[in-house]
Amino acid sequence: MSIFRMGHDPWGRPVIEGISWDLIWVALGLGVLVITGHLLYRLLRGARRE
Amino acid sequence: MNAAAPANPADTLGADQSAGPAGTPEADRAAGSPRRADLVRRHAGIDRLYHWLTAACVLVLLATGLLPHAGIAFDWVNLHWTTGIVLIALTLFHLLRSLIWKQVRTIWFTVAQLRGQQVGKYSVAQKLMHHAMGVMVLCAVVTGALLLKKISTPLLVRDPYLFGAGTWGIIYAVHGLAAVSAVTLVMVHVYFALRPENRMYLLAMLTGRMSRADQRERVRGIRAGETHLT
Repeated sequence: MSIFRMGHDPWGRPVIEGISWDLIWVALGLGVLVITGHLLYRLLRGARRE
Repeated sequence: MNAAAPANPADTLGADQSAGPAGTPEADRAAGSPRRADLVRRHAGIDRLYHWLTAACVLVLLATGLLPHAGIAFDWVNLHWTTGIVLIALTLFHLLRSLIWKQVRTIWFTVAQLRGQQVGKYSVAQKLMHHAMGVMVLCAVVTGALLLKKISTPLLVRDPYLFGAGTWGIIYAVHGLAAVSAVTLVMVHVYFALRPENRMYLLAMLTGRMSRADQRERVRGIRAGETHLT
C-alpha cells in the first residue's frame, strides 16, 4: 500500500497527485485500535485495583 | 485557558466562588441536578457555539470529502466547499479570539501539569487533543482555501494554473492527510467525550457549567494521576 497517488506533469515528470485513499481505512483502523487499547487498559487497571 | 496553578485548585475556572460548599458528585446526583449556586461557569456561550459549529463543519467535510472515495457516490462538491468556507470563517474567528482576548501561552502545558502536580482548566490530554485538532484544521483550511481556485465558485475566479501540477499535488496531499487524520482524531475525541468519567466535560460543553463537586473530583483525579492522561 502506498501513501501517495502518483501521476505525471505535462512534461512527463512524476508528481504527487494526492494521498492514497486506502489511508481512509488505515485512519479508521487506527481509531479503533486506540479506542480498543484504552478500553483494555481501563479494564485491566480496574481488575488490578480489585 | 488557564494553565497556571492557583493555590486553591477549585479556583481554576475563574468562576464565582461566592456560593456555599458543594457535596460530592454522588450526593449531587442523588439529589438530582445541582443547584445553580453549586455550578461554576466553564465555557462561555460563544465558545460552545464555536465548538459545536466546528464539529458540525468537520463532520460534513469528512462525509463529503471522504465518502465518495470510499465507494459512496453523490454530488458532494458544492456542499464541501460551502462548508469549508464556514470552517475557514470559524477558524479565523477562533484564532483572532485566542490571540487578542485570551492568553496564548496558556494553551501549552508545563512539566508540573504533566506530572499531575499542577492543575489547569484543561488537562494535558485535552490540550494535546486541541493541538492535534488545531494542526489538522489549519492544514485543511489553508490547503482548502487554495483548492477553491480549482473550482468555479461565486467567490473566486477559477484558475487551475495558479500552481504547477507538482505544487497542486502537494496541496492535495496535505489536504488529504489532514482529512484522514481527522477521521482518527474525531473517533478518539468522541470516544473520550462519551466516557462515563468525562461526562462532566460533555455536559459543560453543552450547558457551559460544571458542578463544584465534579470540579473537585476532576482536580483530585488529575492530582492522583487517574485522569490527566487517560
